[in-house]
Amino acid sequence: MAVSAEPGLLPEYVRRMPDGRYRGLNPVTRLALAAVAAIVAFGVRDWTGPVVVLGGVVLSGATAGVLRKMALFGLATIPLVASILLVNTFFYPNAHDIIARLGPLSPTWTGATAALQATLRVVAFGLSAALFALTTPMDDLLVELERRGLGRRGAFVVGSALGAIPRMAERAREVTDAQRARGLDTEGGPWRRFKGLVPLVGPVVLGALGEVEERTMALEARAFTAPGRPTLLRRLPDSNWQRAARWTLLTGSMGLAGASIAGLVRLP
Amino acid sequence: MTAGSNPGLAAGPAVGSAGVPAIEFESVSFAYPEGTLVLREVSLRIEPGESVAIVGQNGSGKSTLVRHLNGLLRPSSGRVLLDGRDTRPLHVARLAGVVGLAFQNPDRQLFAGRVSAEVAFGPRNLGIRGSELEGRVRAALEEVGLADDSATNPYDLGYSRRKLLALASVLAMQTPILILDEPTTGQDARGVARVREIVARVAGGGRTVIAISHDMRFVAESFRRVVVMREGRVVLDGPPGVVFGEASWPELRAANLEPPLPAVVGARLGLRATPTDATLVAALVAVRPGGEPDDPKRPAPSLGS
Repeated sequence: MAVSAEPGLLPEYVRRMPDGRYRGLNPVTRLALAAVAAIVAFGVRDWTGPVVVLGGVVLSGATAGVLRKMALFGLATIPLVASILLVNTFFYPNAHDIIARLGPLSPTWTGATAALQATLRVVAFGLSAALFALTTPMDDLLVELERRGLGRRGAFVVGSALGAIPRMAERAREVTDAQRARGLDTEGGPWRRFKGLVPLVGPVVLGALGEVEERTMALEARAFTAPGRPTLLRRLPDSNWQRAARWTLLTGSMGLAGASIAGLVRLP
Repeated sequence: MTAGSNPGLAAGPAVGSAGVPAIEFESVSFAYPEGTLVLREVSLRIEPGESVAIVGQNGSGKSTLVRHLNGLLRPSSGRVLLDGRDTRPLHVARLAGVVGLAFQNPDRQLFAGRVSAEVAFGPRNLGIRGSELEGRVRAALEEVGLADDSATNPYDLGYSRRKLLALASVLAMQTPILILDEPTTGQDARGVARVREIVARVAGGGRTVIAISHDMRFVAESFRRVVVMREGRVVLDGPPGVVFGEASWPELRAANLEPPLPAVVGARLGLRATPTDATLVAALVAVRPGGEPDDPKRPAPSLGS
């Protein structure tokens, strides 16, 4: 059951609702949009899918005011994009439309086109995920999923899995600092770095296991397994048109991707 | 002062050159990449052999400040000098031979299967081998009271003993500068007394000791100088009798700190500079009719925690 937000009874961070055209959307709608972006980017053949997704994501990012941060996330795709471009451009199978001969290498137009398309798909998907992560507080998403029947355990599993990544990163940073302070050389050659893995991995993994035990006990101590439905303090705005849009976009994008893959629909 | 056979600053001078401070922060400011300014123009000079406690509320910049000493963090502006030498071009692994830093949470560093191996990790990284390494490990474990646990798995020890183990692992490095981050957290009275003894012995041996702590009693009784930080700045700096004196209380309270109990009791009784049990008792004895204690050989009573 969710309670209504009464001023004075609940703290500001509970009462404050997200605003703005994109941020004001229900977290589940944003999750659906991210899923649609992934389906269209990878499921619709040729240029239209990734270009439309990229355009939509950039527009949404600008609306939400996170375009610069999204660009930083986008940098994470550079290694993957670089390998896609190199492998496809230079080693695309059965392509004979050679652009130029560079010694033993022969880049092809077919390979370059495929590489560019794949790059667009990866970047569009990466930015879409970044947009979702940057604009959606995890607590809000979990509250909404729990309200829709995910259940306390399910919400906990999802929340723990998603929250574990930044927690592990923070732990790894602290462990690295502690071992470097004891003279561990993490700035040397590959062999030195490899030898340094044990002192780094040990505390990270052992600490994470210990944390799981502590969290479990802390949850038990706070009646996590008590029978009955929990009270949800926060109810985020949703609407009939958002519900309709979610289902329409999800089913539509899956249908479009299926038709495109089957060759029933040809887009530029 | 030297660091045994530590490489230290190697080609540079050993920390403790005549007339040169062991540590000098020159207008050091530091901001994290997202823009949070944590240190603001901090200038601080610490002489060789000084024992200094850094106190302040959470987020005041204490840990950030000491992480500049071994290069884990680099100043956004200003300079950090060790024995007069700029630390900027020096790697952390090299500075580790000069600055030993025991972190607050021992579980962020323990990894070995045996206590002795854990303690040997640091000195081994500094190039110490053979009988010298064994001697250092044994001495460090005896110092923290874990000599009988040398073959134990660190994770079989309780938290307070794991914390002492982390301290031993840094003590064994025998660095000229020792930094302890919240060394008394999770320690019982015996553990606190042991840490206090270690601080006294290390500083007494001419090495520089710096501790970050929220334990004002431990600070007053163990350190000859107290630095108070608030919002990235040094706001008080002096001996415990001055920093915990009544005139400093407004500044202490602005930093969310309370002076230790003897300082408060002494101030209420009109006595000055009584930050510790011993100084308070001495002051009380001095003003008592008759002037001398009944039995001068009797140890001064403790007020307790």
